[in-house]
Amino acid sequence: MDLKGLFKKTTASEQYHERVSKGKVAETDASPNVPDGLYTKCPGCGKMILTEDLYANNMVCPKCEHYFKLDAHTRIAMVADADTFEEWDAGLEEKNPCDFAGYEEKVEGLKRKVGIDEAIVTGKAKIDGRDVVLGVCDTRFLMGSMGQVVGEKMTRAVERATEQKLPLIVFTCSGGARMQEGIVSLMQMAKTSAALKKHDEAGGLYITVLTDPTTGGVTASFAMLGDVILAEPGALVGFAGPRVIKQTIGQELPKGFQRAEFLLEHGLIDNIVKREELKDTLSKLLKMHEVPKNNYMQQYKDYLDDMYKKKVDLDAEEFEVNDLGAWDKVQIARSNNRPTALDYIYLLTKDFYECHGDRAFSDDGAIVGGVAMFGRQPVTVIGHQKGINTKENILRNFGMPNPEGYRKALRLMKQAEKFKRPIICLVDTPGAYCGLGAEERGQGEAIARNLFEMADLNVPVLSIVIGEGGSGGALALAVANEVWMMENSIYSILSPEGFASILWKDSKRAQEASEVMKITANDLKELGIIERIIPEFPVVSAENINRVTTNMKRKITEFMIKYQAMEANELKEHRYERFRKM
Amino acid sequence: MFNKILIANRGEIAVRIIRACREMGIKTVAVYSEADKDALHTQLADEAVCIGKAQASDSYLNMERILCATIATKADAIHPGFGFLSENSRFASLCEKCNIAFIGPTADIIEKTGDKSQARNTMIEAGVPVVPGTKEPIFDAKTGEQYADSIGYPVMIKAALGGGGKGMRVVRAKEEFESNFNNAQREAVNGFGDNSMYIEKYVEHPKHVEFQILADHYGNVIHLGERDCSIQRRHQKMIEESPSTALDEATRKAMGEAAVNAAKAVKYRNAGTVEFLLDNKNNFYFIEINTRIQVEHGVTELVTGIDLIKEQIKIAAGEKLSYAQEDVVLRGAAIEIRINAEDPSKNFAPCPGTIKDMHIPGGNGIRIDTAVYTGYTIPPYYDSMIMKVMAYDKDRESLIKKIRSVLGEVIIEGVTTNLDFQYDILNNERFISGDVNTDFISNEFGL
Repeated sequence: MDLKGLFKKTTASEQYHERVSKGKVAETDASPNVPDGLYTKCPGCGKMILTEDLYANNMVCPKCEHYFKLDAHTRIAMVADADTFEEWDAGLEEKNPCDFAGYEEKVEGLKRKVGIDEAIVTGKAKIDGRDVVLGVCDTRFLMGSMGQVVGEKMTRAVERATEQKLPLIVFTCSGGARMQEGIVSLMQMAKTSAALKKHDEAGGLYITVLTDPTTGGVTASFAMLGDVILAEPGALVGFAGPRVIKQTIGQELPKGFQRAEFLLEHGLIDNIVKREELKDTLSKLLKMHEVPKNNYMQQYKDYLDDMYKKKVDLDAEEFEVNDLGAWDKVQIARSNNRPTALDYIYLLTKDFYECHGDRAFSDDGAIVGGVAMFGRQPVTVIGHQKGINTKENILRNFGMPNPEGYRKALRLMKQAEKFKRPIICLVDTPGAYCGLGAEERGQGEAIARNLFEMADLNVPVLSIVIGEGGSGGALALAVANEVWMMENSIYSILSPEGFASILWKDSKRAQEASEVMKITANDLKELGIIERIIPEFPVVSAENINRVTTNMKRKITEFMIKYQAMEANELKEHRYERFRKM
Repeated sequence: MFNKILIANRGEIAVRIIRACREMGIKTVAVYSEADKDALHTQLADEAVCIGKAQASDSYLNMERILCATIATKADAIHPGFGFLSENSRFASLCEKCNIAFIGPTADIIEKTGDKSQARNTMIEAGVPVVPGTKEPIFDAKTGEQYADSIGYPVMIKAALGGGGKGMRVVRAKEEFESNFNNAQREAVNGFGDNSMYIEKYVEHPKHVEFQILADHYGNVIHLGERDCSIQRRHQKMIEESPSTALDEATRKAMGEAAVNAAKAVKYRNAGTVEFLLDNKNNFYFIEINTRIQVEHGVTELVTGIDLIKEQIKIAAGEKLSYAQEDVVLRGAAIEIRINAEDPSKNFAPCPGTIKDMHIPGGNGIRIDTAVYTGYTIPPYYDSMIMKVMAYDKDRESLIKKIRSVLGEVIIEGVTTNLDFQYDILNNERFISGDVNTDFISNEFGL
C-alpha cells in the first residue's frame, strides 16, 4: 500500500492560530538557530565539525584528518609548557620601503584585526622543561609573508638563540616574500640565512616544522635550513606555487604534488609528524641533541657486565670461532632470517628517531639512519637495511643503496659531527645498486665522497658488518676507527659469484671462490682488516639475539670509553693510520 | 506550548509521538533515513526531512543533520523517543545551545545518571537502597568474611578485573566463604594478574521492577506505579506488566517513595524510569535511572489513564505537573507483548523482509502500537521490534485470557516473528501463576 498523501494533516490548536495572528510565531533571538562558532566547516571534507571537538583534536578534523591552519599563539600553546612563553621584539617599527599605496593602512588594520603585530611571533619558551627559542609564522597576517619586520624578528631570534646557546624551533607557513616591500623583502632571505649559518657554525640546533602552506622566499631560506626538518601531514611546501607551475608548464600536476608526503618521498624532509605527537617529538629531539656533561659510560659498562654475568657463565663463554665453512657463512649472511640493521638498532639503542632523505633527490630505503640513545649517550646510527620478505625487499631495494642513500648517510654523519655524537654504522649490503639511475646520479662519486669525508670526521666511528659486506657499497659505511664483524658475516671485494665470473668466467663456481677469497670474519681478523669478531653462539637468531646484542653493547661501551677520550685530531689520525698501514 | 515538534526517531515510537502531537494541535516534523521514505512515521507527520543514508550513524544518530532539519523547518522542540540520541547528553546540550527544547532531562542530568558509580553514590547519600557492596577492594579472606557477615548471605565475590565468570563465586554460607574467596582470588591472579576483590550482596532470582516517574521544572516529582519486566531473554525485555504480582501495598509505597527520592536526588526533569531489583523477601535495590520514555510506557498509560508523551511535552514546555501523587491510582491490570521480526528457531536472528499481509485485531481493552502495514518492507538496519500488543482488564486473570485471545488473532505474513514464542509464554503455568523472575526464560525455555 502506498501511503503517500493519504493522511490528513494536523489541525493546529486554536492557541497556535491566535499566536500566529498576534505575530508571536515570528522569529526572534530565542528562535532555534545554530549559534556562531558552534560548528566549523572543514575545508577538507566540507562537513560541519563541532568546534569543541576540533579544539580537543588539536585542530585536526576528526572526520577527514584535515589539518586546520593554526594561529601563532594556538601553536605556541600546543608545544610550549604552560605559561613559559616570553615574547621577543613585538612592535618593531613598520616601514614602507617602496611607498606602496595603502600598505601602512593595511598593516595597521591587520594588527588591530588579528591581534598580533606581524606575520611571525618569536620568543623564548620551555618544552618539557628545556629552554628553546621559538619562531611561529601566522598566515592571518598577509599570508605569513616575509617583509622587513618578519626578517628582522627572525634574525634577532636566531642571533639570541646563538648567543644564549639555545636550540631554535621555527614553525613556517608563508606565501613567501612580501610583495609590497619589494627588493627589501628579497634581502630578508639572505639576512635570515646568514644568521642561521652563524648559528650552525656555533653548533646550535635548528629544527623547522613546515606547516601548510610554506612557499616562495620562506621555503628558499629559513624553512629548508633546519638540522631536522619536520612537516605536518598534507602541508603544501614548495618554492613556486602549484598554480604558477601549472600555468608556466601548461600541464596537470600529479596528485599530492608538493605535499609533505611528496617531500618525504623526495628526500627533502626528515619526517612527517602528527600534531598529537608534535610536542613529544620535539622534546625527544631536544633531549637527543644535548651533549651530555657526563655520559656515565663506565657505569653503563659495569651495569651491562653485571647483567650479562647474571645470565651467562662467563667462564664457559670463552669464545671459540665456529667451524662453519666460508660458503656456509655466505648462505647464513644472506639468509632472509638474519636480523637486519633495524633489529640491531632497536636492541642496541633506545628512542631511535629515524631521519629521512638526502635533502636533494629521494629517500633511499636501502639505508636507514637517525639519532638514538646508547645508554645516556646520544649516537647517530646508520645501516644498510634489507627486507625480510619480497615486499619489504622491494622497498629496501634488497639492501643495495643508490647514491642518495650514501648522501643521506653522509648528511647524518656530518650532523653527528656537529652535535659531537659518536657514529655506529651497521653494514649489510650485497653491494651498491647497479642501475641506470644510480650511474646518472653518480654512484661512484657518492661512494668516494663518503670515503673522503668519513676519513675526516671528528667523532668516533664504529662500523659493524652484520651480514654481507659487499664491496665499495659496504666500505662507504666502514671508514671507521674500528671495524667489527659478526661471526657469520662476510666482507669482500665483490660477491663470490662476481669473483668467479671475472676470474674464471663461470659464476657457478661461487662456492669455490668463497673459499679462496678470504671473506670470513676469521680470515679478515688474521689479515688485520678488522679489530673484533662478535660471537653469535653459534648463529644469531631470534632466540639468542638478546644475548648477542647484550654482549655487543658491553663491547661498544669499551669502544666508547676508549675513543671518546680522544681529541678530534687524534681520532682522525687514528683512522688515517688504520687504513694507511693496509 | 510548542508550535512544532521534530521527532528524532522512527518506528512505532515516532508514530506514537506524532499522534500525541496531533491531538495537542502541535505540528510535527518527521526525520527519516533513505531506507525509511515509505515508513509510517515519514508519511504521517506534517513534514518530513530526509537526514541521510540508511545506517543510523548517518541519519538517526547524525546530530548535525537533525539540528539543521529542526532549524530549517522552524520546529521549536525535539522529541528523541527512545534509543538513538535519547540518552545522549551531548545532543541534549547541543539542542540547548541552539535554543531548541529537548523533550527530556537536561544534558547534565543525563550525564550524571549515566555514570554508574556516581549515580550509585548519589543514591546512597539520598538513602535509596542499592545492592550492598564493598567500596574499596579487599585482599584477604578474613576481611572479606567480616564484610560478608555484615551484609548477610548469599554474597557474590568478584575480581576487580574479572569477566566471563572468572574470579567470581556465589557464597551461600559463612563456612564456605574462606575457600571460595581464596579460589576466586587465585583465579583472578592467574587470569588477570590482580588480586583485588569486591564483595556484594547476591540478589537471588530477582525480579526486575521499575517505577515510572514524572518531574516538572519546579521540583514536583510523582511516580506512576510500577512495571514488572522480569520476562527477559538475555536482558532483552519481552513482556511487561503493571501492576507487579510481587508487590504488596506497603512495598509499592516504599519503592515508589524511593523512586521519587532517587529522582529528586539528581534534580530530575521530565519522564524517567527508576529500575530496581526485587528479591523474594521484598528487599529492593536501585539499579539505574533511564532518562527517556520507555518502550513499555503504554502499560503504565493503561493502568493510570495518564498520557506520558503528552505529559513529557507539557513538562518540556514549562508547564507544571497536572497531577499530584494522590491523583495517581492504578486501576486494573495491563500487559505488553513485544513482537519482533526475528526467528526464535535461529537464535532469534532478525528477519527483515516485506509484510505480505497482516491482520491487526481490535476490541475492548486492546491497544496496538505499530509502524508496519501491509506491503511495508522492514529494513535490516534498525531494531527488529515491529509491534507492541497491549491489553487492559480489571484483573490479571482476565487480562491473561484477553491477551492470549488477542495474540491468537494477530497475523503477520511474509516475515518470521516471535509471535508463537510469546504465545507459548502466555500459556506457561509459571507465568500464569505470576511466579516469575529474570531467570524465567532461561529456566523454562532453556534459552
